[in-house]
Amino acid sequence: MKQALIIGGGLHGLSTALHLARRGGWRVRVLERRHVGRHSSGVNAGGVRRLGRDLREVGLSVIAAEMWDNLPRIVGDDGGFRPFGQIKLAESDADIAKLEARQAATHARGWTHEEMIDRDEVLRLLPAVSGHVRGAMIVRGDGSANPMRTVMAFRRAAQEAGVEIIEGIAVNGIGTTGSGTLVVETDRGPMQADRVANCAGAWASGLAAGIGEHIPTNAKASMMIVTERLPFFCLPTVGSAARALSFKQSEVGTVVIGGGHQGANDIATETSSQNLMNLAKAARIAAEIFPIVAGARIIRSWTGIEARTPDEVPVIGESGVMPGLFHSFGYSGHGFQLCPAAGAAVAELMAQGSTNMPVAELSPARFQQKAAA
Amino acid sequence: MSVVVVGAGPAGVRAVERLVEAGIRPIWIEESPDGGGRVFQKPPPGFSRDAKALYGADASRAAAIHATVARLRAQVDWRPGTLVWNLRPGPRLLNTQGPDGTKAEVAYDRVILCTGAMDRALPIPGWTKPGVTGLGAAQIALKAQGLAIGRQVALCGTGPLLLLLAWQLTKAGAPPALVLESAGWARTLRAAPGLAWNPVGALRGLAWRAALRRRGVRIRTGALPLRVEGTDKVEALVWRDARGEHRTEVDGVAIGYGLKPETQLADLAGVPFSFDGLQRLWLPERDRAGRTAVPGVYLAGDGASIGGSVVAELAGTRAALAVIEDAGGHVDPLETDMIHRRLWLEARFRAALERAFPYPAEHAAAMPDETLLCRCEAITAGELRGTDAPEVNRGKAFTRIGMGRCQGRVCGPAGAEVLAAARGCDIRDVGRLRGQMPVKPVVMA
Repeated sequence: MKQALIIGGGLHGLSTALHLARRGGWRVRVLERRHVGRHSSGVNAGGVRRLGRDLREVGLSVIAAEMWDNLPRIVGDDGGFRPFGQIKLAESDADIAKLEARQAATHARGWTHEEMIDRDEVLRLLPAVSGHVRGAMIVRGDGSANPMRTVMAFRRAAQEAGVEIIEGIAVNGIGTTGSGTLVVETDRGPMQADRVANCAGAWASGLAAGIGEHIPTNAKASMMIVTERLPFFCLPTVGSAARALSFKQSEVGTVVIGGGHQGANDIATETSSQNLMNLAKAARIAAEIFPIVAGARIIRSWTGIEARTPDEVPVIGESGVMPGLFHSFGYSGHGFQLCPAAGAAVAELMAQGSTNMPVAELSPARFQQKAAA
Repeated sequence: MSVVVVGAGPAGVRAVERLVEAGIRPIWIEESPDGGGRVFQKPPPGFSRDAKALYGADASRAAAIHATVARLRAQVDWRPGTLVWNLRPGPRLLNTQGPDGTKAEVAYDRVILCTGAMDRALPIPGWTKPGVTGLGAAQIALKAQGLAIGRQVALCGTGPLLLLLAWQLTKAGAPPALVLESAGWARTLRAAPGLAWNPVGALRGLAWRAALRRRGVRIRTGALPLRVEGTDKVEALVWRDARGEHRTEVDGVAIGYGLKPETQLADLAGVPFSFDGLQRLWLPERDRAGRTAVPGVYLAGDGASIGGSVVAELAGTRAALAVIEDAGGHVDPLETDMIHRRLWLEARFRAALERAFPYPAEHAAAMPDETLLCRCEAITAGELRGTDAPEVNRGKAFTRIGMGRCQGRVCGPAGAEVLAAARGCDIRDVGRLRGQMPVKPVVMA
């Protein structure tokens, strides 16, 4: 039996482990420093979105969307996925033009999930939206899910597939033996494997740097604020073409407002905290677009730490300096939806060295070329 | 130097008084419209009841506190009706929300947190029905507006507040139908030598009990509430004592097993917490002067550890002296020494009280599965037990317990008891909920 070690018990690590274990012939162990889903996997905004993605990752996202529709068959639970659509609002004529150009670009590549809708349709779907809205782009099959429930479903499914999840173990470095086997150095001693996946989120580029591979990322701590429960007024997840906003009403009636407004984070202590000015900005934008929330009360807020790459798309592929090591990190604030498909792609790369999944443009090689040039 | 005092209860009042004496003009922030704290709660404007009726034997202390607030208001930057909803220790900033909802940032060099306490809840089946309140809340209704929570009221709790409220209601003409004291006589007697550290306080408790019995108020010791019955309001309380299970028809129930410090701001400040085995609560660490490990952050009163209003006044003065001292001012060592001695004595009495009237932890841990443990999010004890959460923050992530309006302020301690018992581990091992801002809901726009 071949040995695989997955570093990081977030969603991408769990999904990779699950898919690899299901191939058969692999003993898969997940090494998690704290506990499964501790950082952004368990506390992200839960957006299940193809809408508006970078063209390099749309292909993977489209595959992931099909997997989300079939999630109960894949992990035994739907992760709380509610396919009520994702909408990007146009608040001006310039926004309309921007969205139309975007739609043309995805259609030119053969993807038709993004649809332009007029003001009447926006008002039909979002009766509470402010009257200044001009139109929108929508992906009707997108939606949102429950991150912690999704993490737990992947954990359970992985364990049932034979994956061993070890929590509370810290990885300090990766090396190789003379015979080419990989060695993961942990605080409980070295562990050997034929293949290793680096799914360590905000801490992954540090591990890569430890073997001399430079993949630049910085840490990101997107903030979310939550209001008290309000009467139901909004089913889709809503964003804006020109402004940083992610807005949705959860299944219990609370309104979750995010949009990439950044809090402070500390990689060393694994903590993040909220930046009040940015939070106030998010709240103001939300109230302008949905006047109904202007008087609502905020009851809590949170942040989670993850990695952001310079070009804001993830790093998926084999290490340029250590064959047998595969990177999967740097999802830059939008990796939740990708996790079923990304895990399948990384597992395939680990098992057979190649994949038909559309991840070629996400290879870590893009940074080495830059470093060389 | 910008000095901020948060809270205008007994601790805050005495802290501000001492700061003003030292020539400092602090910013004084109070969440309610006026000073006095919950213990010396004032009726709203237009209500009149004399101080003796409101505060009983503490009337003169209440009057002194109110007079001090009135005198100090002009000498400080007084901000009533203002909530401090976040504290950032790095830049030393507080975030506030004023009475009209406006947000502000308040910079501090030193801040004394006198955030007070709240009822310590014991969730039982039916505790969310209209007509059930906290014991302290029932007392505030009486003090503020002369309201009884019902005509046939059951009071469930332990310790001095239980009998005090029973006596106050009786004097106000609304004697409770039933008083359930969870502690048994045996426990109280074992603690008796310690209670002698404060003979006046201990005798007061005995006097209330005797007076209540004379008026025919039914007091049961070693008795605990099991469930509140009724369709859309309180109709009966089912309870048990050594003799068995009983059902008493009532239309109001007040439940409160001691008090719980409001430690959220200390938590956001990053003050280290340690577990207090006697109070069975996580409490912020501080020295006897109220200094914490976080630069510029001081704690005083029931917001740091339950000690009662007398201790709060002493601790408020002491924390102000620490601020003055740390800022290079002169402090009379005789004065600090005197305060330390009195605090030491009070601590002995308090420890005996905690031993005599402990939180009924086993009863909380054993609450039936169907009990709504988290009332904000409607999560039952059974749901929490059904998770494999090893500690409370994961229990929160899995079940939503503590994610609602109160952020675990109400359900937190009882939830920890339930989780620890379900895991078969010590209460310390399930930890405490990580603090998050806002500490209370704030208006968005």
